[in-house]
Amino acid sequence: MSDSPVRTEGLSKVFYDASRGEVNAVDAVDLDCSRGEILGLLGANGAGKTTTLRMLSTILRPTSGHAWLMGHEVRAQPERVRAELGFYSASTALYPKITPRETLRFFAQVNGYPPKSVEARVEELIDRFRIGDYADARVEKLSSGMKQKVSIARTVAHDPPVLIFDEPTVALDVLNAIELRKIISDLRSDGKAILFSTHVMSEAEQLCDRIAIIHHGRILAVETLDGLREATGLHYLEDIFVHYAGVKDADAAAEANISSEGAGASPPGAAPRGDRKEREGSSK
Amino acid sequence: MKLPVPVRAVFGLELRSLLRDPRTVLISVVLPLFLIPFLLLAGNWVEDRRADREDARVYRVAVTGADSAFAASLIEGVVGGTNGAERERFRLVEVDDPQRALQTEALDIHVEALSWMEWRALVAEGEVTRRDRAGPEFDGAPVLRLRFHSSHTGSRDGVEVLRERLLELRASRRDALLSEAGFPVPMEQVAIVDARNVASQEQIQGARLGRFLTLVLLGLMILGGSAISIDTLAGEKERGTLTTLLTSAASRTEIVTGKLLAIMAVALAIALVQILNLWLFLGLGLVEPMAGFAVSISPGLAAGLFVLYLPAVALTAGVLLLSSAHAHSYKEAQFYLTPVLALLLVPALAPLLPGITLQSAILAVPLANLSVGAHELLTGQAYLPGLIVAWLVTAVGAAWVTDRSIHALHDEGLITGDTSRAEFFGGPELFQKRVLRWFAAFWAVKILLEFNLPIDDVRTAVLVNVGLVFLVFPFVVIRHFRLDPVEALALRVPRPGVWLGVLIGAPAGLVTANTIFRLMDFVVPVPTELLENLGQAVTPEGIPMWQLVILLSVVPGITEELTFRGVLLHGLRKRFRPVALALVVGLIFGFFHFQIFRIPQSAAIGVMLTVVTLYSGSIFPAIVWHTLNNALAVYLGSEGMESVLESWWWSAGAVLALVLAFRIIWVFRTPYPDVGLSPGPARAEPSDVTARPPSGTAR
Repeated sequence: MSDSPVRTEGLSKVFYDASRGEVNAVDAVDLDCSRGEILGLLGANGAGKTTTLRMLSTILRPTSGHAWLMGHEVRAQPERVRAELGFYSASTALYPKITPRETLRFFAQVNGYPPKSVEARVEELIDRFRIGDYADARVEKLSSGMKQKVSIARTVAHDPPVLIFDEPTVALDVLNAIELRKIISDLRSDGKAILFSTHVMSEAEQLCDRIAIIHHGRILAVETLDGLREATGLHYLEDIFVHYAGVKDADAAAEANISSEGAGASPPGAAPRGDRKEREGSSK
Repeated sequence: MKLPVPVRAVFGLELRSLLRDPRTVLISVVLPLFLIPFLLLAGNWVEDRRADREDARVYRVAVTGADSAFAASLIEGVVGGTNGAERERFRLVEVDDPQRALQTEALDIHVEALSWMEWRALVAEGEVTRRDRAGPEFDGAPVLRLRFHSSHTGSRDGVEVLRERLLELRASRRDALLSEAGFPVPMEQVAIVDARNVASQEQIQGARLGRFLTLVLLGLMILGGSAISIDTLAGEKERGTLTTLLTSAASRTEIVTGKLLAIMAVALAIALVQILNLWLFLGLGLVEPMAGFAVSISPGLAAGLFVLYLPAVALTAGVLLLSSAHAHSYKEAQFYLTPVLALLLVPALAPLLPGITLQSAILAVPLANLSVGAHELLTGQAYLPGLIVAWLVTAVGAAWVTDRSIHALHDEGLITGDTSRAEFFGGPELFQKRVLRWFAAFWAVKILLEFNLPIDDVRTAVLVNVGLVFLVFPFVVIRHFRLDPVEALALRVPRPGVWLGVLIGAPAGLVTANTIFRLMDFVVPVPTELLENLGQAVTPEGIPMWQLVILLSVVPGITEELTFRGVLLHGLRKRFRPVALALVVGLIFGFFHFQIFRIPQSAAIGVMLTVVTLYSGSIFPAIVWHTLNNALAVYLGSEGMESVLESWWWSAGAVLALVLAFRIIWVFRTPYPDVGLSPGPARAEPSDVTARPPSGTAR
């Protein structure tokens, strides 16, 4: 297990809130993802998916716990971690004034691809993602489908072993979403370790080798779809999800009752922790 | 030195993006290319036109008065002087009503020829602007009084010329009289004065240029660098490309370095292009240089200036980048541009300080030291060790600013575009984040209202400025942030013992604050007239005492407390520790009293009121204290008993009484929630729990 490309141990992120004190956005998460595997993070909005993936990509610093990408720890060697990583999310955008070819060259360069091989790599990517027709038009002039392909190509520009897709299909139409899932599936065949977050059940069912159900910042189960079915006796992922999330809520309620005599208890009528909105991307 | 690949890649990307944005290129490069010469051209044209008009101008003069025949002959002397051009410039005209004619611009100058007696009478009435000092009385000197209208250009300019001519005429007549009376030497040989400037032409011009060169260059660089700097980090956040860049393997240092170099390059290039452009316009004779600015700089001097200015370029670019790094959006970054401009341009004005040299404290001020250094270099008085230290100091400043930008890229709140934790949760918590911003805006509105409301009646003015404004503001805040009024305004019942403390504390506080005011007077003396004005402001005349008490004591006591010890204290309660909290709330309260000399006094009262509220957990003691304080001040003022406050014995006693008052209130305390004051033994009483509901259930 220790040689997994991605591994986390007790990974936690605490946000401080003035009136409610500490909020555990991500709470002691243990995960791992192997080569040629797609690990799906399935959870509602605000469950902690984006926060987890942002810690793995070194945008956010974990409050406690560890995460390793290709053996590099996210806090100790953030630059090494990022060199092994391609990060894609619905909110990450492209530079509008440059062309796809320049975009790919730029990201190969900043990610430390060997300078002599950059041009060959750019051609290879243009070929593979079939963006040759518009490789020299400015990005701002492209359609959203074209931009999506360029975005994926730039994510893998430096051929990283680990890929993170944070809710990549959230703003896409059906056809583009299908195309994207196909590309991600192809990347798995290349032997990449892929983390994929979504709140769409069918997407997780189709694409993911294993599914991690995340709720209120905690991982409730990590299993293959069949494994989850076996464990719960339920068939549909949606039912399975509700099963876990419901159990978790009951636990949380019980805990709250027990601790309500303490100073930090939630006041009656206050919204439960998960009601808050997930931190949104920087695109707004 | 070869830069790392990521630095070069970021640099290239920035320049490429800039050059491909036609609007930016148009506004930062093309427009100034024409605008700056055009400004010079227009300036020169306006100046020429003015001079032409002045030359062609004929001034109409009317002469009246007892001695008008003599006056007319004098004017004739001016008009008919030897100078042919002057002859044309004044024309004697007849008007019926010279005063009216001056008003309607039908006349430029009205010359009144007064008799000596008339003149004496005017002097006696104080109707004279230029008093001729006493001397042996000389009865019969002719007096000419020139009346003009300063709003009319012709009148204003004409009177200057005419007055000068008349004085010349007087001098020459006096000289003639003296010669006739047998004065031994020609007048111009009584004393001969000659002045000779030993500064070389280069030094004179260098000094002129040196005063403004840094300012102009910085201005041009900011003009050039601002577009790219705003785009570079704030723009990336807005577009959503920053996350992409920050998840790449490039380090924060490499990213910031690449961007900084791009801003430097663009700022420098644009400044150089503009200078070259100006030089070209001047060289081709298309534009006349402003007087005294025709400077020839040798290539060696130019190279020296270039090297000297490098850290200034870096610092300018660094400050621009930093302001962009701290903005969440394009708009916010543009908003920062004005303070950045002031921050950078003010030090560049250093050479204007009289007698400034690098061998002074200015050496430690980045930018200002280089600005003075450039001035010295241009006047040929360079002090090399000073220049080197100035260079290093500014370079260190640039490095520090750049380091702050790198830090900003590690700030989770800044890079994920999440403006605050509070926005994440919304509602009442957001108010704690925004409270200072709201009060700053409120202050601005208040100052506008205070000085612009067209209300003559004192009573109405007080009711609006104090009563209404301070009542409406807390109400708006509570509604906007959906605050619980009981919590936000601390509407809780204090323990009875507190009132004793308030009764002792209010008068003691008044005397103590007044003592502070008097102590301040040792440091910054307050003009006496101002004090008298203040006295009138506190006690306007002609209003019955009971109305005064209500207007100046009860109304502000209630409304100002709701604003300051209510919503302001509520909003800041978790941001500061108790001591700092009392000081901050007090100081803000002080700043809302717009007469600058009252600020320390008001702030002191504000601190006391905050402490009372923190101890008692309730706003009511503060309201009563505030009302008592103001009522006492009004009473003493109206009875003319302020002198009571001017004894140091009273001061000492008041301070002791104040300490006692706070001690009493502390003993009977019910601390304000969430500020971390120790609750004290009495808190266990059940009555307290009902008086002060826990914050959770109240929401």
